[in-house]
Amino acid sequence: MINSVLRFGLIFIILVLLQVLLFNNIQFSGYINPYVYLMFILLLPVEMPSWLLLFLSFATGMIIDLFSGSSGMHASATLLAGFVRPFVLRLLSPREGYESGSNPSMVVSGFKWFFFYTLVMVLIHHTALFYLEVFRFTDFFRTLLRVLLSSVFTISFILLIEYYRKGK
Amino acid sequence: MRNLLNLLARYNNLIVFLILEGIAFSMVVTKNNYPNTRFVNGMRGLTNHMNQVINNTQTYFNLREINETLAAENNALRNSLEQSGTKKDTLFFSVTDTIYRQQYQYTAAEVINNSVNKQKNFFTINKGSRQGMKVDMAITSGDGVAGVIVGCSDNYSLARSLLNIDFRLSARIRSNGYFGSLNWDGRDYSHAILSEIPQHVLVNEGDTIETTGYSAIFPEGIVVGNVSDFEKTGGDFYKIRVTLNTDFKKLHFVNVIGNMKKTEQEQLEKLIQ
Repeated sequence: MINSVLRFGLIFIILVLLQVLLFNNIQFSGYINPYVYLMFILLLPVEMPSWLLLFLSFATGMIIDLFSGSSGMHASATLLAGFVRPFVLRLLSPREGYESGSNPSMVVSGFKWFFFYTLVMVLIHHTALFYLEVFRFTDFFRTLLRVLLSSVFTISFILLIEYYRKGK
Repeated sequence: MRNLLNLLARYNNLIVFLILEGIAFSMVVTKNNYPNTRFVNGMRGLTNHMNQVINNTQTYFNLREINETLAAENNALRNSLEQSGTKKDTLFFSVTDTIYRQQYQYTAAEVINNSVNKQKNFFTINKGSRQGMKVDMAITSGDGVAGVIVGCSDNYSLARSLLNIDFRLSARIRSNGYFGSLNWDGRDYSHAILSEIPQHVLVNEGDTIETTGYSAIFPEGIVVGNVSDFEKTGGDFYKIRVTLNTDFKKLHFVNVIGNMKKTEQEQLEKLIQ
């Protein structure tokens, strides 16, 4: 228990630092901005109680908000991601169900499963985030383009990090 | 009662979600547009120190380029000093005359946090209310408009960048004096849109766009950029794309311009309306 708290604490710190120091500074053509910190929500244990998941995602979003100077935007989008995660997991659940005490990971469930899981979660999170940022529906399709392009990059980075984690 | 409790138990996650989402959403709505002083004090204060450290490291790598731009700006300033140093009709100029009081106050500052990739970009500068910064002061970089201060803490100020879809600037075409409204369309960090220029006006590619000074924030005649292309829209107005003079990706040394007669102008205007 303590061990896993420490482990997720470490993952959290590493992801937040990566996001704030590295990914927030990638300002590529105004369209692409990967938000890799979402990976923390993806990796939390499957059987985590929903209320804890909600509070954790809210807190994660708030911390990212603090560092990127946007108020409530990331909190709101990450909270949504945390809320839909149980539904996404149920939707993607393997035939025999999840093993008790398992975490979503590429090692346990394979590349294909992890890819679809990341895809759905990142798309939900990014859609909420980018439309909240613009806060209007004019230029609907341009925002959609930003969502898609940034999602491609976020997913790539998450898969890369996960692949590296798997290798260790 | 029991039914109510059952209902609460069944939907407790939804309720927690809605409450937290409500909090986050109200923050988005109230604070994203107009970050006020308290917000700047509280939230940014935590991260400003870290930004300063990161920024110091980044500056070190750009020293050569920064030196060049500063030297160029020094030259330009020396030249203008030479021209404006001598008053033309000294005969009527009196030292006690308050009309000749200085109108604009310039302070140099450094940008310590900046972004160009969002729809609502803000940047932070390393001077605050202790150094005389106030809300609604104009910020220019050496060669063009950069932003407007929207909040000050003791030692830092937060500015709305020109690259913010909420930013409006009164700007005009230098050659013929027709003015319109300039704002960013959220697409490209090097271009903005000048609208409300009527179609009978002659516009050419490369025309200089400058500030009007009507808003009492920016002084008159600060260059914004050049016309890159223009098209006729459905109405009677042009939609002019302006190449911005300021390179927001390397925005670093900026000047803060305070209008000392701003309140006077605003009070007068309010009086008449």
